[in-house]
Amino acid sequence: MNLRRLLRPGRSRLLLLIPFVPALLVACNKEDAQSTFGTSGPIADTQADLFIFIFWIAVVVFFLVEGALIYSILKFRRRGSDDSIPAQTHGNNKLEVIWTIIPVLILIAIAIPTVKVIYDQDGPPSDQGPVLEINVRAHQWWWEIEYPGQDVVTANEIQIPVGQWVNFVMNSDDVIHSFWVPKLAGKLDIIPGDVRELAMKADEPGFYFGQCAEFCGEAHAKMRFRVNAVPPAEFNEWMDSMRRPPVELVSDDAKAGQTTFAANCSSCHATNTWQGPAARNERTRLAGLRSAFLDNQEDATVIAAPNLTHFGTRQTLGAGLIDLDMDSLMEWIADPDDVKEGNRMKDLAAPYRNDSLSSDDVRQLAAYLLELKPVDADAVVDAPSGGSERTAVERGAAAFAGSCSGCHSTGSNPIVGPGLAGLSTRGDDAYIKESIVNPGAVVVEGFPNAMPPGFDSTFSAEQIDDLIAYLKSL
Amino acid sequence: MTTIAFPTLISRPTSYTGLWSWIGTVDHKRIGTLYGITAFLYFLVGGIEALVIRAQLAQAESDLVSPEVFNQLFTMHGTTMVFLVVMPMSAAFFNWMVPLLIGARDVAFPRLNAFSYWTFLAGSIFLNLSFFLGGAPNAGWFGYANLTGSTYSPGDGVTFWALGLSILGVASLAASFNFVVTILNMRAPGMGLMKMPVFVWMALVTNILLALAMPVIAVALVQLSLDRVWDTNFFNPAAGGDPVLWQHLFWLFGHPEVYILILPAMGIVSEVLPVFSRKPLFGYPAVVFAGAVIGFMGWFVWSHHMFTVGLGPATNSAFAISTMLIAVPTGVKIFNWIGTTWGGKLNLNTSMLFSLGFIGMFIIGGLSGVSHASPPTDAQQQDTYYIVAHFHYVLFGGAILGLFSGGYYWWPKMTGKRLGEGLGKLHFWLMLIGFNLTFGPMHWLGLNGMPRRIATYADGLGWEMSNAIASAGALLLAISVLIFIINVIRTISSTQEAEDDPWDARTLEWSIPSPPPAYNFARIPQVKSLDDFWYTKHPELLHDEQGVDAEVHEPVEEDTHGGGSIHLPSMSYYPFVLSIGMVIAIAGFMQINVELPGTNIQFPWLSAIGIVIGMWGLMGWSMEPVTEEGGH
Repeated sequence: MNLRRLLRPGRSRLLLLIPFVPALLVACNKEDAQSTFGTSGPIADTQADLFIFIFWIAVVVFFLVEGALIYSILKFRRRGSDDSIPAQTHGNNKLEVIWTIIPVLILIAIAIPTVKVIYDQDGPPSDQGPVLEINVRAHQWWWEIEYPGQDVVTANEIQIPVGQWVNFVMNSDDVIHSFWVPKLAGKLDIIPGDVRELAMKADEPGFYFGQCAEFCGEAHAKMRFRVNAVPPAEFNEWMDSMRRPPVELVSDDAKAGQTTFAANCSSCHATNTWQGPAARNERTRLAGLRSAFLDNQEDATVIAAPNLTHFGTRQTLGAGLIDLDMDSLMEWIADPDDVKEGNRMKDLAAPYRNDSLSSDDVRQLAAYLLELKPVDADAVVDAPSGGSERTAVERGAAAFAGSCSGCHSTGSNPIVGPGLAGLSTRGDDAYIKESIVNPGAVVVEGFPNAMPPGFDSTFSAEQIDDLIAYLKSL
Repeated sequence: MTTIAFPTLISRPTSYTGLWSWIGTVDHKRIGTLYGITAFLYFLVGGIEALVIRAQLAQAESDLVSPEVFNQLFTMHGTTMVFLVVMPMSAAFFNWMVPLLIGARDVAFPRLNAFSYWTFLAGSIFLNLSFFLGGAPNAGWFGYANLTGSTYSPGDGVTFWALGLSILGVASLAASFNFVVTILNMRAPGMGLMKMPVFVWMALVTNILLALAMPVIAVALVQLSLDRVWDTNFFNPAAGGDPVLWQHLFWLFGHPEVYILILPAMGIVSEVLPVFSRKPLFGYPAVVFAGAVIGFMGWFVWSHHMFTVGLGPATNSAFAISTMLIAVPTGVKIFNWIGTTWGGKLNLNTSMLFSLGFIGMFIIGGLSGVSHASPPTDAQQQDTYYIVAHFHYVLFGGAILGLFSGGYYWWPKMTGKRLGEGLGKLHFWLMLIGFNLTFGPMHWLGLNGMPRRIATYADGLGWEMSNAIASAGALLLAISVLIFIINVIRTISSTQEAEDDPWDARTLEWSIPSPPPAYNFARIPQVKSLDDFWYTKHPELLHDEQGVDAEVHEPVEEDTHGGGSIHLPSMSYYPFVLSIGMVIAIAGFMQINVELPGTNIQFPWLSAIGIVIGMWGLMGWSMEPVTEEGGH
């Protein structure tokens, strides 16, 4: 048939082309932040290459088979009301064997690289330098990040060095989530009660978008995160900075905000994991908060919440939701549910339940959080670093703030564990020490046996004495 | 021997008109009609759910509906379209057409057939009642544990889902036994298995799959219900349970389920193409064998839904290869369909267009399927809109277009009237274009990083344009369905009657009046070849190669039924009663922790009422004779 006949107006067959219009309208931009193309690491590169390989095979098959179908429709359509009976063919064994074997060959061609890549991508390569291990713990609907053995804890923004293999060791405290940074690697599900490991490497610096890919409940759409790949020197400096104390607060707002934060937010959000003991205890603290939440879901007032240490250095807020600045942070604090419906802060935190958060409080809290930044590296030398001049009570207070204050208030109000005011009237030194090193032995009535063991190794014997001195002073 | 007296309470229905005649009916055609109408109504419900979803996603940062409502909508959209639309619509065609295509007067177990329908209807209503009783299920149509546990899904929504699907499973199981037995035992004399129409073959494979797959999901659903209602820990990792166990059970059911959804439509297409090409199906044995192989291999591919769960490289490799293999018989079918049209005289009427559209769209769905049969590429595609695009090309472009093709094809046989061709073609083209506008851009969305099941998305990720096009396409799809409804209304109110055999078709159902009489075949036909009716009309076309003598084929004169009057099973209310009782008993699980007022006794009072009603239905059913004396 000739082209002119094919294009004659009024022919409905032209409509056959319309379904393919979207393909022309919607171009794929590999620069888009979550595109699976324009990748920046070997894992995602290989996955994209394999896809492109399959894609072109599919394109060829698509045009051959759809072409045959459309050709047959156009060529053999009935003209007029011709009711004659065409030649009756029942099949053709040779043809049918051919079109069974050709797909088999094509699929073998796809299966071979597929299996090769599956095995290649099973863990980080052993011959490309040391592998940085990062613990990821998924929560509804945020990410707890820990650099094991390095006393660095953060949330939702993961710093990694460019050019080094990273192995994410992942676990979930609640439901199934899926860790996905399209530019760096395909996703891997995180199964509660089990550990999943996902290795990847960034070849170029970048602020890579990530998102939970397994439906995980109400705020699933807003469980996002970032991977910030920076040059190794910058990465090392960041790791150092996460272990340095925060700068002195400057503004009055920030100072007022600190008080508000301590009274209303610090039960769930830690800001002190720049201290080694606090960093090492953060996981147990969060687990304790979580079991406190589960034990009494109806009336819970606490839950595991993102670590906010040196929060002022972050670029996003609300689990990678929006760029962090004064306005967005105030909007978030004023009504977190408005920004991220379903998140637990609005339901659980006292100021929201009591509707006691004034606009001044919001501004001051935001100012405080934005001022949470580490001191410069050279400033650390002057900072008191354990302080022989300090008294035992002062040293104990610091240890308490780092490891205990998430669950225990220094007043009489319970958090996860009982408030500790007037502790000296409840028992002697031996009782307090036993409570610290062997928490299961002395559970206060009415409280869950939630305090994790292991504080005897978190603290030195000297520190435990300091703690006891401090606790008796309450 | 004396018969045991059983209190009748209700007398057996005798009138063949009016509401009660529908509730008491055991006629496979009437039950098929009930299935069809119900499934179509749910198609509208699921479609409206989809429209709200598309309205919400039409633009970034939309808050037309809350995330909670959105989660309910996509959960119920998936559940509805799978369990309340495609499966029962397939069942409608099985009911209507299997007995007609095999030359039988009814199914093997007519009352069980009625029981299947009423159970399906009651289960579907129960499931949708959740919208009005505290919120619909919101954990997705594959309800992944442990999100479905009572800790993370408090409220009754997920319990409605688990119990509702259990009820629907009972309906499917009953229907599957019925159709397997019907097809194996009730074919007209002479109709060997390889002389069976392909639609009947696909019905057989589908119903065997149903009979084997439904128990798997039943186990999972019972475990889930127990986890939720009685605090067991099958899927609770905190107590040593395993949420991945759910995924294995669900997809061990769920993948055969995919073929349960698509094989009936493939059967329809295999009937429609030969008729409107005026040629026999190309490679009948290959098409039948491919369908059976798909049904068998469908059991060995389930973990391809779980490539990102982290099952390890060996598992992923094995399931990648088995998944790629299943593409081969699927390809064989497509090539044979194209071969059927090749060299034919294609009558491009609405039914044929839908079948051709099925092939064209299914090719796309099949090819995108191959790209996520490879676990490394699937790692980027899993749980994104790329997957949403893929399975809509298979289940909408495939199953739904195929079912519409069957609707236009068999409408004259079922109602005695032909659906309008003009509106029909408009319906087809709008649906094809709307479908591609809706689901085509989703390929790009997925590859561009948009996860599925997100209630909203941020600006600036490059997803706005594709989503807007998809939502516009959905509107076009809605219009195409409206045109179909107008077509149906116009056809019903018209007086033009269809001939008994308007298409010069090939199979037995066209040899009897349109619509068929209650007894279908005045004389049970004697079958000599595949497409027997066609060769009765065109005896000169019958060749030796089909394994029958090339002699002129005369209908057998004697009535194989014994020469007397035709005995049809009498109507019965008991299947309805048993269904209602059973559904109330299962629904009673929702009340299991409710105390009797004024006491501290937890008594499952609703279940108790249901069991009493169910026992009444069961006893009444077993005591009454199939055919009442003096019945006809």
